[in-house]
Amino acid sequence: MSLREKIASGEFVVCAELGPPQSCDDAVIRKKAGCFKGVVDAVNITDNQTAIVRLSSIAAGRILLEEGVEPIVQMTCRDRNRIAIQSDLLGAAAMGIENILCLTGDHQRFGDHPEARGVFDLDSIQLIAAVRQMSEGSLLSGQPLKKAPNFLIGAAANPCAEPLEMRLIRLEKKVRSGAAFIQTQPVFDLDQFSRWLEMARRRGLHEKSALLAGVLPVRSAKALEYMAREVPGMRIHPRYLERMRAAAEPQEEGVAIAVEMIGALRQMEGVAGIHLMPVMWESITPRIIQEAGLMPAHAPRPACPPCSGGENEAKF
Amino acid sequence: MNLVTKEKKAFSRPMRLLSALMLLGEDLIKVPLFRCQRCGECILSHTGFVCSQRCPKRLRNGPCGGTGEDGHCEVYPERMCIWYMIYRRASFFGRLKMLYRVEKIHNWNLEKTSAWLNVFAKRIEPPKWRVPKEEVKP
Repeated sequence: MSLREKIASGEFVVCAELGPPQSCDDAVIRKKAGCFKGVVDAVNITDNQTAIVRLSSIAAGRILLEEGVEPIVQMTCRDRNRIAIQSDLLGAAAMGIENILCLTGDHQRFGDHPEARGVFDLDSIQLIAAVRQMSEGSLLSGQPLKKAPNFLIGAAANPCAEPLEMRLIRLEKKVRSGAAFIQTQPVFDLDQFSRWLEMARRRGLHEKSALLAGVLPVRSAKALEYMAREVPGMRIHPRYLERMRAAAEPQEEGVAIAVEMIGALRQMEGVAGIHLMPVMWESITPRIIQEAGLMPAHAPRPACPPCSGGENEAKF
Repeated sequence: MNLVTKEKKAFSRPMRLLSALMLLGEDLIKVPLFRCQRCGECILSHTGFVCSQRCPKRLRNGPCGGTGEDGHCEVYPERMCIWYMIYRRASFFGRLKMLYRVEKIHNWNLEKTSAWLNVFAKRIEPPKWRVPKEEVKP
């Protein structure tokens, strides 16, 4: 079942995330894809996240399709103007990519090329509207397309940043512009998330768009502390920091927290699914999905070799 | 649906002269008052009279996901997020409904031109002073 059908059916959606390598090694992507096949509904492919140069998200999306995993290609406004965005979208559609996640993009100052010129010709809301217009059959210029793409549009939301009302205004604009699903930042503060969800429900946004709550399994207390300190717009309840610090086996504790979080999020009204972000820890996905009781019944046993070492693996 | 501020025919020579003069006057007022970034497509009336173009990403439609809990910018943590200030100012003036508008995609040819003359020449939409009673639709 494709992501579009799954969202329409109202079943609990499970997305995951994959970061392409900082090289042209497609074997890395194929190996990571093995962790996701038959386990999750679709996989996000990040577009040069944190402004660090990586293999193109559209190319990685094509590789995932070849591996039998449905990709959600992230498209940011940082690196492309409206000409490049539309051209890349047409290219992506021609290669069979159907899901686009529209983001503004991290500022280039955080990346490996802080001197770069940021483009930001569009912002994420305008990008959503542009993708919708293309799906409806015309370019931003108004020129009709002989063959229009058929994209399922996604967007991101941050339930933790203040003021919450401004967040909801922005979310409403995204939904109204055509976002069919919304992925949130990782949730590490359930009270804050339920406050945000309550406000979204009051606006009826959960009926117009599938809200997918972000879950991030952490490997060590250090990784969580790093996120609390360095990642902008993240709110982490001190309870989780304490639990990770006190844990004898931090990896086990990280899995336990993620499974617990999924359980709690599933109970909430208006959460249509989860978005699992095993940053540089893709191999843990099948286990978490299994323990959370979300493994599809007919799923083949994932042939996932234990990913160890490897590029950037130690970071988180 | 029209998402983009379309490019119009170039100004004639006298209009260009007028534009330069108007820009001078506009800068004298808007730069000290609003720290105007001279985008030429003024949306001050939609954003609680705080210039949204001071955002490092020049976002016209709302804050990015990186605003800290206390409202600081992710790119320059010593500054406040401009959209945090817009939110506060807009709620102070009772203009929060204006933030629901989806702003058009910027025409970069209007950079460093007079927004007042652009309104007059029908290149951009006029400012919206009155807050609509019902919900704003794009």
